[in-house]
Amino acid sequence: MWKCFLSLFKKDCRMMMSGKFFLVAFCSLILYTLFINFGYVNFMDAKLYNVYLYDPEGTQREVSSLVHPVSSIEELDSVLAGDTNGVGIDASNGTPHVRFYEATEKADKHRVDYALSLLSMDENYTAETVGNYTTETKQRREITCELVFIEIVAVGFLGIASALFKEKQMGVIRVHAIMPLQKSLFVCSKIILFLLTDLIFATLMVLLNVGLDGVAVLPGVLVQTAILSLIMALAGFGCTMILRDFKQFSLAYLVIALFAATPVFLAANTSVKMAWIDYHPFYHVYMGLKNAFFGITTINPVYYIGAISAILLLFIFVEASFRKEMRREG
Amino acid sequence: MRKMIEVKNLTFSYGKDKQALHGLNFNVEDGEIFGFLGPNGSGKSTTQKILTGILKGHGGEVSLFGKDLKEVHTQEFFQKIGVLFEFPYLYANLSAVDNLNYFASFYPEEQLRDVEELLTMLEVKKDFWKKPVSSYSKGMRQRVSMARALISNPKLLFLDEPTSGLDPAGAVLFRKIIGEERQKGTTVFLTTHNMLDADLLCDRVAFIAGGNIVALDTPGNLKEKNSDHRIVISYLYQGKREEQIMGTLELKDSMTFAYDEIISIHSQEPTLEDVFIQYTGRGLS
Repeated sequence: MWKCFLSLFKKDCRMMMSGKFFLVAFCSLILYTLFINFGYVNFMDAKLYNVYLYDPEGTQREVSSLVHPVSSIEELDSVLAGDTNGVGIDASNGTPHVRFYEATEKADKHRVDYALSLLSMDENYTAETVGNYTTETKQRREITCELVFIEIVAVGFLGIASALFKEKQMGVIRVHAIMPLQKSLFVCSKIILFLLTDLIFATLMVLLNVGLDGVAVLPGVLVQTAILSLIMALAGFGCTMILRDFKQFSLAYLVIALFAATPVFLAANTSVKMAWIDYHPFYHVYMGLKNAFFGITTINPVYYIGAISAILLLFIFVEASFRKEMRREG
Repeated sequence: MRKMIEVKNLTFSYGKDKQALHGLNFNVEDGEIFGFLGPNGSGKSTTQKILTGILKGHGGEVSLFGKDLKEVHTQEFFQKIGVLFEFPYLYANLSAVDNLNYFASFYPEEQLRDVEELLTMLEVKKDFWKKPVSSYSKGMRQRVSMARALISNPKLLFLDEPTSGLDPAGAVLFRKIIGEERQKGTTVFLTTHNMLDADLLCDRVAFIAGGNIVALDTPGNLKEKNSDHRIVISYLYQGKREEQIMGTLELKDSMTFAYDEIISIHSQEPTLEDVFIQYTGRGLS
């Protein structure tokens, strides 16, 4: 059995190499690392909004250096017309009145708070912070988690499909039907190859972008990566078997990317709350991964029972669809 | 002689209203080349898929190597069979040598044939051995596929349209190789449209149409049974070409006409395709 598995695994590695999958994964790793280290951390450190102050009498005493003074109310309106994200403060009568182009209620309240905090530099406006992470380490963990999730959901899913569609088109899957090997090894070899690739990818992402501090959270991250990787590789395998060609697969991919991943990101990373998100399986997998990046172990047994059941059901479905493909007419 | 394949009342259905096989009965002897002939959709491929263990859920009794089909589809069974598919299914990005080494790796080493020896026997150009299969012609791919089917020294060989895509020289080579396999004692189950292959290679042939076997015998017997035993004699008489048609039994007594030189005597024996049409009312293509 091991000899057959090694033959399949070696062949799958060659297929992935010829399909440039490893190159794509390596390029993604470099691109993500460059983005996190030279882009994202700096973007997130940027100042929020420009704040403009009209205070002809100088009533505001402790004004932050981030505030831009203007000399008239007309000038205030004029700069806000040019900088629609900016916040204006009219303190001409001694009391600050905030004015800006309307955005959304939540964003507007956030901007009001920020603008007023710049007029009062005392400690009253500084929130007490808890937790061990600095802003940068927190941001690094968050974005690394998001990119690992995207890579596995999108690139891994596409990768297994592109390799399998080639084998499907060449008809070689049918040859395996008459080979003296356990047919499930064909499925296992591919799934394990993708699992190993994803685990290596996640490890490198953590080490390169979270740093050596990430070693402590690595076991938890790898457990969650393995769950996600197995689900996505099996889903990709199953879709490839039941769909006729790569065009149909692309549509399925769009559905998964748009309707599966997008709400998860929105619910987990923004203030958008959706009541039904608790029923979305990927939300729990994503939150498991995110928690792992912050050293919080998911211990809910229901989560693991659900994940293992999903993997087993997908495996049964994939095996059945693989056997159907072997029987198909040429 | 031991029966390699024994089929009794074989039925198969793809769905409620899609009965593909309606009770086939035939045997294939050990070391025999058995031809399975029929037009598209007649049930040839379905039968072959059942025999090779790809399709499950058949009715009736089928035994291979003296064992019930339901018991023999183990790895040991697949080690004993070789299958050439209708199309040359190979990894296009791998070379012929890599393809053969890959598929060979699933068999025990002691039963394997030498890859280079096989490629030489099948006259695959040596320059191409290590080039990707994507650069091969259809005929070359078919030769490599045949090498894949033979690499494990199978005791039972299933060949589906073996000479399809080959030039005449390639077809002659394949027939020679199939003949050599028979001499080694390999049993061959040959599924084909090609009447010449069937006529030249097969010990016995079965005609299948609409999921039923409509005739089963040696090609010679089938032709003889369906012959009107007439011959055509062409001859020259006084510088003019003439023809006489008569029954074979009359031949001796009928040579009463005057002639200077017999040019040819042709029996009016039907071709295998003519016989097939007589049985099924339709051609093979």
